[in-house]
Amino acid sequence: MALTIFSIMVVLLLLGFPMMIPLIVGAFVGFYSLFGGFGQLETMVQQMMAGIRPASLIAVPMFIFAADIMTRGQSAGRLIDMVMSFVGHLKGGLAVSTAAACTMFGAVSGSTQATVVAVGSPLRPRMLKAGYKDSFVLALIVNSSDIAFLIPPSIGMIIYGVVSNTSIAELFIAGIGPGLLILVLFSIYSVIYAYRHNVPTEEKATWGERARAVRQALWPLGFPAIIIGGIYGGIFSPTEAAAACVLYAVFLEMVVFREIDFSGLYETAKSTGLITAVVFILVAAGAAFSWVISFAQIPQAVLEGIGIDEMGPIGVLFVISIAFFIGCMFVDPIVVILVFVPIFAPVVKSVGLDPVLVGTVITLQVAIGSATPPFGCDIFTAIAVFKRPYMEVIRGTPPFIVMLLSVSVALIFFPQIALFLRDLAFSK
Amino acid sequence: ASAETWRYAFEEALDEVQGKYAQKFKEEIEANSDHEVQLFPYGTLGESVDTMEQAQAGILQFVDQSPGFTGALIPEAQVFFVPYLLPQDDEQLFEFFRTSKAINEMFPELYAEQGLELLKMFPEGDVCMTTQEPVKTPEDLNEVKFRVMTNPLLVESYKAFGATPTPLPWGEVYGAMQTGIIQGQENPGFYLESTKMYEVTEVITCIGHNNFTTAVMANKDFYDGLSDEDKELVQNASDAAFEYILEYQSGLQEKSLENIAKAKPDMQINILSEEERQPFKDKAASVEEAFIEMTGDSGKEILEQFKADLEAVK
Amino acid sequence: MTPVTEDNHSSQLQSQTDTTGTDDAPVGPYRSTLPGPLGTIDNAISRLESVMLAAGVLLMAANTIANVVGRFVFQSSIFFSEELNSILIILITFAGISYAARHGRHIRMSAIFDALPPRPRKVLMIFIAFVTAVFMFGLAWYALQYILTQAGRGRLLPALQVPVWWTLVWVPFGFFMTGLQYLLTAIKNLIEPDIYLSTSVLEGYDDNEREV
Ligand code: NA
Ligand code: NA
Repeated sequence: MALTIFSIMVVLLLLGFPMMIPLIVGAFVGFYSLFGGFGQLETMVQQMMAGIRPASLIAVPMFIFAADIMTRGQSAGRLIDMVMSFVGHLKGGLAVSTAAACTMFGAVSGSTQATVVAVGSPLRPRMLKAGYKDSFVLALIVNSSDIAFLIPPSIGMIIYGVVSNTSIAELFIAGIGPGLLILVLFSIYSVIYAYRHNVPTEEKATWGERARAVRQALWPLGFPAIIIGGIYGGIFSPTEAAAACVLYAVFLEMVVFREIDFSGLYETAKSTGLITAVVFILVAAGAAFSWVISFAQIPQAVLEGIGIDEMGPIGVLFVISIAFFIGCMFVDPIVVILVFVPIFAPVVKSVGLDPVLVGTVITLQVAIGSATPPFGCDIFTAIAVFKRPYMEVIRGTPPFIVMLLSVSVALIFFPQIALFLRDLAFSK
Repeated sequence: ASAETWRYAFEEALDEVQGKYAQKFKEEIEANSDHEVQLFPYGTLGESVDTMEQAQAGILQFVDQSPGFTGALIPEAQVFFVPYLLPQDDEQLFEFFRTSKAINEMFPELYAEQGLELLKMFPEGDVCMTTQEPVKTPEDLNEVKFRVMTNPLLVESYKAFGATPTPLPWGEVYGAMQTGIIQGQENPGFYLESTKMYEVTEVITCIGHNNFTTAVMANKDFYDGLSDEDKELVQNASDAAFEYILEYQSGLQEKSLENIAKAKPDMQINILSEEERQPFKDKAASVEEAFIEMTGDSGKEILEQFKADLEAVK
Repeated sequence: MTPVTEDNHSSQLQSQTDTTGTDDAPVGPYRSTLPGPLGTIDNAISRLESVMLAAGVLLMAANTIANVVGRFVFQSSIFFSEELNSILIILITFAGISYAARHGRHIRMSAIFDALPPRPRKVLMIFIAFVTAVFMFGLAWYALQYILTQAGRGRLLPALQVPVWWTLVWVPFGFFMTGLQYLLTAIKNLIEPDIYLSTSVLEGYDDNEREV
């Protein structure tokens, strides 16, 4: 059954159907063959609703809204001008700043989709103007956003920790090493890219110009203050921080800068709603599809077939990596963690792997998977927000996937990348 | 009888109490028949409300849902959230679940109205608070933002204790505790251990107000359609799993707290004495009235039967 | 009136190109291509959908902020805040999918499609629109059944204490309207010479896509 469903889905996808249709048809076929008819399709509707129920999803429309107000108004421009006054003269400076901004924002907000929008919307046009190719820009934004999975707080790690009975505090610390390693690799690649494509640099700004740029950006610097200070200071949850950003953006652009009026706000809200709907219907359809996979116990069947019980620790880590990578290509990462972790738990225990290492490996795969075609929420979000065709959004992805996969392999052979900080912090 | 595949979903991970019960149930069924039981832990088929609906629709044959979630469907099930109702003593508690007329006769009727055959109700452990500061009296909870499930009686209880009940999705609790948005939450001991709540809090306080209870049920049409032989199989497996879980339970709370103390030696664990609990009991008296107000005569009847059943096991 | 100087003129241009935010070409007012009273109804529904989208997002922001203020200033959380947000997200999603269908904004992978010559492309477009419509109508039907089941069970939202099925009424309607849009797109492609992505949008991505 699984093979038939996947084949139908890929064909529909390639023919150019709206992306929700392959997922919906996959779920339809699954329900039909599981229950011998359409008698249980109400459960498909139920799971679609369940897919968009989680309260943390609210952060996505809120950050989209805030980012859109900032970008239509002056806030975003002023912030970027400030960053450019410091890095504009460096080859690849803007790209590295974008990657770092994605990492930071994603780490704090906990939402990779929100990161794509909040950092991508203002920075993408600036990078295009600076001479970067769109395929590179899009891939950089989508993939850097996913580093967020590894940097605490990480919802993926919390769920892994609970399901596998592993210390979440240790997981958090273990994620930092690989997360930063990826950021470094992306930065190096960005600089190489800038040299190879001879992306022009700006003239080095004087300290006077820099001071002016900082002054110009004083009001908008409230945004990072709200997000970072608010969340780590225990004032907001990430979702609430997003809403607070909306409020602050409305205040800046409507009262301080007077760049947006009420009809502008209404239009912005409307287009935020539109993007949200276009992405969330895919989240909903994806949830219904994952339910079918989980209910039919397809992962269990596949894993039984490959004889994981006879492998050593390295082999097990490889199988885990591949399983999560493939799972996340098609299905929501959280569901993949919930379904796969219990399946792997016995073998992880019997070969004596450190559950913290396994959790880090899994989180990394989840990050890679959600930016990997064909199905990936961050890709969908980028398409919806930037209005670029699917192929263009994924064209620049391969080098990033290669870098991410090398980190996975490195992590398997050199667990210290993840465990060094953990051992230091917990004096093991 | 021909071999069938039965599906069973529960609200916890495989190694937590509901998972242990489900594994024992599966083992019994499979040892005594050709049937297969597939287990679906938390989240693999959706959340608690989803799996409950799937059981009602007959997609799942068995489901474990705690009365805290069933309250929206069967209001009387919230009787388990009336504070200081259940006994602290394990033997009394277990005997109550074995013999209670409310649990074994009255609740099955209420569940049947929802298309469910109630198989067993069982306790999962004494609910304790984890907070940043010690809690010795209700005054210590003043202005403490305390995460509770979105359950009206639980909210009522913590308001009565003097805390500020704060709703928060479970997935955000660890992070919110770490950053300080909330300063307290409650759960049974084994769950405090498995969800690592102790990593982000300093004090565990047990005031004995509640024992987290859960219920296992079957789809009623499915159950009614079983052969007598299979019905007996299901009942026997339920009984065996029930006795197994009570056995597993005794000492579990202490062991969980010990494990926490081992993992985090400077964790303060306070089990309040009878005298210390009294002020909490006094404050919580109003919650019982709230329960009767919410559920009317039918709730009152259940509550009274509960008390009679409890008296009988003392 | 401010005189158009070189300076603010170029900044205006820049802000136009820079605003990739969400919608470079703002989604303009929708004009139904249905005849007579049907067209009027279609226009009214489109308008209702756009109001729901905007109001949904604004309410969500207000609700979330109010909860923070409540917790900090008044020491009490809004207990229905989370439930209200989940109702709003359903409203936004299901008003939005039909709105997106009208404006040809659903995400698709069109690489192979775009490479085809016009005639097969048109045939494929009709097929895609028709099949999509069928599945949308199917989901509308099962969503309706699901609501009826929910209504029969009488489950309530724990904090708001309203029946769960109330929060879902827009779901079958959204699926149905989306199906209708795709059906109309199929018909439009059958009777018109051009290739239409939706009833009001000609094919082509971004630059050459135009609203008619
Ligand atoms: Na993070
Ligand atoms: Na993916």
